[in-house]
Amino acid sequence: MSILSRLGDFIDERTGHRKLLAHALEEPIRGGARWAYVFGSALLGSFLVQAVTGVALMTSYAPSDKTAWASVHYITFTQSGGWLLRGLHHFGAQAMVIVLAGHLLQVALFGAYKKPREVNWWLGLGLLGLVLGFALTGYLLPWDQKGYWATRVATNIAGTVPIVGDATQKLMQGGAEYGSLTLTRFYALHVAVLPALLVLLMTAHVALFRKHGVTPSARADLTRVELFFPKQLLKDVVAVLAVVAVVFVMAVREHGAPLDAPADPSSDYPARPEWYFLALFQLLKYFHGPLEIVGTVVLPVVLGAYLFALPLLDKKPGTALRPRLGPLVPLALIAAGAAGLTLQAQHQDANDAGFQKERVKADERASVANRIALDGVPPDGPLAMMKRHPDLRGPELFEKHCASCHMLGVYGVDKDRTAPVLDGWGTEKWVLDMLHEPDGDTRFGRSIYKGEMPSVDTPLPGAPPTWKPMSTDDKNAVAAFLASLGDKPGQPLPANAVLRRDPAKVALGKDIVATRCTTCHLFEGKGDDSDQGLAPELGGWGSVAWIRAQIANPATKATYREHALDADRKGHMPRFDAELRPDDLDLLATWLHTATRRP
Amino acid sequence: MTTSDPPPPPTSAPQSSPEGEPEGSEPRTSRRTLTLAVVVGSCAIAAATAIPAAAFVAAPIGSKGAAGRWVRTLRLDQLVEGEPKRVAIVDDRRDAWTIERGVELGSVWLVKHGEKVTAFSSVCPHLGCSVNVARGAGAGFACPCHTSAFEPDGKRKSGPAPRDLDSLATRIEEGFVAVDFRRFRIGIAEKVEA
Repeated sequence: MSILSRLGDFIDERTGHRKLLAHALEEPIRGGARWAYVFGSALLGSFLVQAVTGVALMTSYAPSDKTAWASVHYITFTQSGGWLLRGLHHFGAQAMVIVLAGHLLQVALFGAYKKPREVNWWLGLGLLGLVLGFALTGYLLPWDQKGYWATRVATNIAGTVPIVGDATQKLMQGGAEYGSLTLTRFYALHVAVLPALLVLLMTAHVALFRKHGVTPSARADLTRVELFFPKQLLKDVVAVLAVVAVVFVMAVREHGAPLDAPADPSSDYPARPEWYFLALFQLLKYFHGPLEIVGTVVLPVVLGAYLFALPLLDKKPGTALRPRLGPLVPLALIAAGAAGLTLQAQHQDANDAGFQKERVKADERASVANRIALDGVPPDGPLAMMKRHPDLRGPELFEKHCASCHMLGVYGVDKDRTAPVLDGWGTEKWVLDMLHEPDGDTRFGRSIYKGEMPSVDTPLPGAPPTWKPMSTDDKNAVAAFLASLGDKPGQPLPANAVLRRDPAKVALGKDIVATRCTTCHLFEGKGDDSDQGLAPELGGWGSVAWIRAQIANPATKATYREHALDADRKGHMPRFDAELRPDDLDLLATWLHTATRRP
Repeated sequence: MTTSDPPPPPTSAPQSSPEGEPEGSEPRTSRRTLTLAVVVGSCAIAAATAIPAAAFVAAPIGSKGAAGRWVRTLRLDQLVEGEPKRVAIVDDRRDAWTIERGVELGSVWLVKHGEKVTAFSSVCPHLGCSVNVARGAGAGFACPCHTSAFEPDGKRKSGPAPRDLDSLATRIEEGFVAVDFRRFRIGIAEKVEA
């Protein structure tokens, strides 16, 4: 007697495990093993994948509106293997929905819902509801834009239900508005309540399945009976393996699961649900005004009621498909309708230029947020982090406060512009263009400064005969020096820095600026015109400090002079120190410094 | 449960049957009483935990949304006549255990008409997505989710929205546009505060 079998005997004597195992494996399968029976096991297998990856994710996830996004970002981008785990959980969830649809259709086609299996059909429908509940609650947990807005629509749908809607919505949200309690509730549902219910229903489902056995197809040879082990079990293992393989390949191919920008209640976002809810999403577009409730509540309830009633509608004995076509027609219509609506939703989005543009904007924001969060997210959360980062806050402030007069990159509208285009401002090329033609359309051409600065190489009409154009060497030197003023000490020069790589040019330029430009301009506080003129300070021109001073108040002599804001200079750039907070001024200036000088 | 249990010894029967049933039916009655006691006891145990738990979880049902509050946005002269501008509503936010100072609560659309400003909640009355300006000058507003569209004056134009955009009261305070920021219930024809 081998030691193993003696150990087996020892345990069996105390637990009776052999009998249990035999009971599990020796289930007779009337009509023999079939591939059609693998769906249930495939579901069980993918649920186990979700349970294992889910519990693992729980060890790094922190459900609060300040930490949820940050912890998911950490899982995805920092913790080793986190991307894979999240990818498995993300695609595993989708696999479950697909396999579930397959299971439902198989059971319906084989007539496995018929007497005496009605209760098991209903348990299955309950499990379907639970899986969709998992999908809905799980979508919110990263607390990113995508999950936040899609889930808001879902809870608002709950709110449209007559009488109980308002209470249901508040119950789900943990209050009248979205907040920390929404997240903790969805989390509790996702990791405790739904799993407990799922295990409970699944146990009952499997127990009832064992009680009644498989429902063989009407044409099966019922004299043939096989045991669950090994033939059916092997088929089941192959099916689970196939599902897991697909999930794994998807997770690796997509490098995990996407993470959108942090949820921002004051933003606009083109919300879309996960693909398997797109049919329901599309349905909402067709019911207008008072009929809205048809799409949100009535049709989904009718669908559920039909599925519930199917075993009661189809009571004739026998599982042959032909006599059951009548009761199954709605199911076919539902399947076809869902497929059609999903395709329609995707088609509309693909052909909606506005949606695509919003999508691109949202994706850009997501990628910047994901990049800057690599340095760590502050304790007041990812939104505060974004509000404090020049790359995100800068464009936002520019669009809000500057783009009505200026233009820079994609911000601002050229036909409304009354101030210079800022692309390239501060570069050597910009200085050369300015010296040559200050009133060019992208420079002073449309501002109130038009005509104030003369060209250094083109005489004004009626210029004295002694007027001489500035030499090319001198212009290059001025450009080299002025552009160098914006360079941050110790930082590498940008690619478009050419002239100022020559220190002799910079030195010559400084000399020219200090002596010849000061006829009108100030340089380091000094000028020849006894403060009568308007030309700005050139010292530090183009630096972050100069930009900040100009935005805060352009009439302090740090940039332009006291007269710059005089009543007769109406149309001059206003001061923003009243409406922008100091830190916003810093962020805007920092961003402008890089954005304007970008090659 | 088995049915072959021996009846309880007669001596113990009177104690377990406080109701004092007739002699002949003592064992049966005592069994019924015991069952009842087990059921009532189990229910009491269940209720003792489930009722406080359910009341705790259901507490938010009675909560009201934040009351309307006047929030200053931007200066009147920053608005262009007739041109909708989205502005963030910045104020303190109380969220369960957190108080945050000066955070963005949401956004509203402002449209200037002379010295008057109309404000619309940017929350779509259909299902709560964030409403945007429609493409093209004077095209009004459009929701990016379910194709609801609104006229420049907030009237429902097309799509599933059950009512017009929700307008909010405004006033001018020292040159700034202040908005009475409120939220409304979604997906119903009437404008009711959430």
